[in-house]
Amino acid sequence: MNRVLVVDDEPAILRLLGAVLARGGYEAAGAATASAALAALRGGGLSAAILDLGLPDRDGLELIPLLRAAHVPVIVLSAREDVGEKVAALDLGASDYITKPFDGEELLARLRVALRQSGHPSGAAAQEVLAYGPLRIDTARHEASIDGRGLTLPPKEFALLQALVEAGGRILTHAALLEKVWGRAHVGDVEYLRVAIRALRLKVEEDPAHPRLIRNEPGIGYRLMEG
Amino acid sequence: MPPMWRVLTSYAIPLLGVALVTWITSAMLAQWGLASAALLFLLPVLLGAARGGLGPGLLAALAGAGAYNFFLLPPYFSFHVHGPDHAVSVLVLVLVALVTSRLATRLRAREEEANARAAISEELAQISRLLAKGAPVEALERARAYVAGIYGPVRIDGSQDGFSSLDQAAFAWAMHNGDATGHGTGVMAAAEWTFLPLSPKGRGSHALMALARPADGHTRPMVQIEHMQQVALVLGQGCDRIALEEERRARETLAESDRLRRTFLASLAHDFRTPLTVITGQLETLATRSPEAGEALNAARRLERTMSDLIAAARIEEGSLRPQAESLDLIDAADAAFGAVVVPAGLSLGHVIPADLPFVRADAVLLHHVLINLIDNALGHAASRVMLGAALRDGQVALWVEDDGPGVPPDQRARIFERFARIEGGDRAQGSGLGLAIVRGFAEAMGMQVSIEDSPLGGARFILRMGA
Repeated sequence: MNRVLVVDDEPAILRLLGAVLARGGYEAAGAATASAALAALRGGGLSAAILDLGLPDRDGLELIPLLRAAHVPVIVLSAREDVGEKVAALDLGASDYITKPFDGEELLARLRVALRQSGHPSGAAAQEVLAYGPLRIDTARHEASIDGRGLTLPPKEFALLQALVEAGGRILTHAALLEKVWGRAHVGDVEYLRVAIRALRLKVEEDPAHPRLIRNEPGIGYRLMEG
Repeated sequence: MPPMWRVLTSYAIPLLGVALVTWITSAMLAQWGLASAALLFLLPVLLGAARGGLGPGLLAALAGAGAYNFFLLPPYFSFHVHGPDHAVSVLVLVLVALVTSRLATRLRAREEEANARAAISEELAQISRLLAKGAPVEALERARAYVAGIYGPVRIDGSQDGFSSLDQAAFAWAMHNGDATGHGTGVMAAAEWTFLPLSPKGRGSHALMALARPADGHTRPMVQIEHMQQVALVLGQGCDRIALEEERRARETLAESDRLRRTFLASLAHDFRTPLTVITGQLETLATRSPEAGEALNAARRLERTMSDLIAAARIEEGSLRPQAESLDLIDAADAAFGAVVVPAGLSLGHVIPADLPFVRADAVLLHHVLINLIDNALGHAASRVMLGAALRDGQVALWVEDDGPGVPPDQRARIFERFARIEGGDRAQGSGLGLAIVRGFAEAMGMQVSIEDSPLGGARFILRMGA
């Protein structure tokens, strides 16, 4: 059974998450502090972590790189509207975030996505052929296809699609996508991204005005979604 | 020393000198000769001219010439002058008196000027020190007392009360042009007062220093006006600096209270969300088995919405919204908003956004809340469908949410954006009554306008206009 570390200083939330995770078939390991979380991490055997950023002894953001280094996917649990905190968590390597109060089924769905990604070999970029849903990308031959139909993509759009497919459903922040595709100097030029996403949707979405595959999280970034 | 006494001594001392020289030279004439004796008479002339100026110098010259003639030149004890050489010696003594006294007078004038300037510098330094210490009131008082002590009545303020109409005109001129104006100056010299601005044209404080016409009826000399202008400018600079400092402090206080308010609202949101998460989470589990728990769950979710609305309304009220405008695709905005609302059974929700619509500049999160609130409001009133649309109109992007419900009567369109406003008559919406107030508050914070029209669907159409 998958063991999921739950880090939150509120005992009631720990119990609630324990119940939700049990419903989803996971075993929950609770930690009320950052040091307890680190002890659990050292103990090993964790498949994923659900992390509240407001911890008594340490900023929860600091835990993300440590968990990532141990190949534990992280879902951040946030009670704040603040987009900046979520963006920071994602840029530090969190797989996803969910805002309190959350829907239990929603949390389980996000957790499944996060676990599936970590199931991919971690060096996904090293693979030549990547796939996500109906999308396939051959990085060596610079070819992309959807449902077996070849796509003709200019280099930036190809790079953008490749970044999204490599992330495998994980949210990539606007800044992360801009840096990957256009370079560090352009992390603030969100307009570039909007133009390229619109062009890409024309080619991969059935109805570009109602995108089902390339989805935006307001103020945060883009991700691929199946179905 | 009283001036009269000083004048007397300035004349008496050279005369005594002449007497002394006469006495010595008459005694020593045989040994020294006439030429040396004549030279000695220059001493009292120099003394008199240097100390007392022209009058005592001339007196000493004439007295010396007379004594020289009377006692030393033959015929002795007679003023009779024999030859031109003796007339020359008289002339030389007079000339020496003239030149020396002029030199001495000029020297003394310069010394007095230097002293006056030193006194002003010292005074300016004192005033500057007071200003630097942040004591503008004391500095103004000191400047007023100092100027009044030397030059008579003075006023330092920005008020025109008690001035004649000509003085008021001079006041206005000085204020507007930043020049010394009024009595003793080149502009409106007939005025009773001299007006000196505290700052150069177009900058700083709006106060003037006003000096009354001298009580003795003389015209105030330019030198005094220049001195006073210096005092006025130092005062002006000081006052400006203090005003700036006060402004900065006020801004800091404001920024600090702004930060505290935002921190408070953020922690308030955090504090109620944590228990609500527990409540809704546990009810979710229970709701699978009990319809009562399902009702409680719905109530808890409504409570969460209401609390979120209240916090949003508080943020608008406090003016603590800080929109971060970025380039947005409205297709993304609509997609995200649709994902965040629950469409009740029997209703449909869709959008028609042209694929070539320009991107807009808006705060993604605020716009997200605006759309959610508009859609929720429309779902609350629609008969069967809610549509979201957008188009380019007059260079602006118009985004609208419309429904096929009863619509909003024209006379209620203005007040519907007020907090807790509800349309009179059938209303099945169960919101906090804040939704549309939040729409307007957030939209206006982003520089958008909200309005209501009749929808072709039959209900209301809420339109947001935003820059492309």
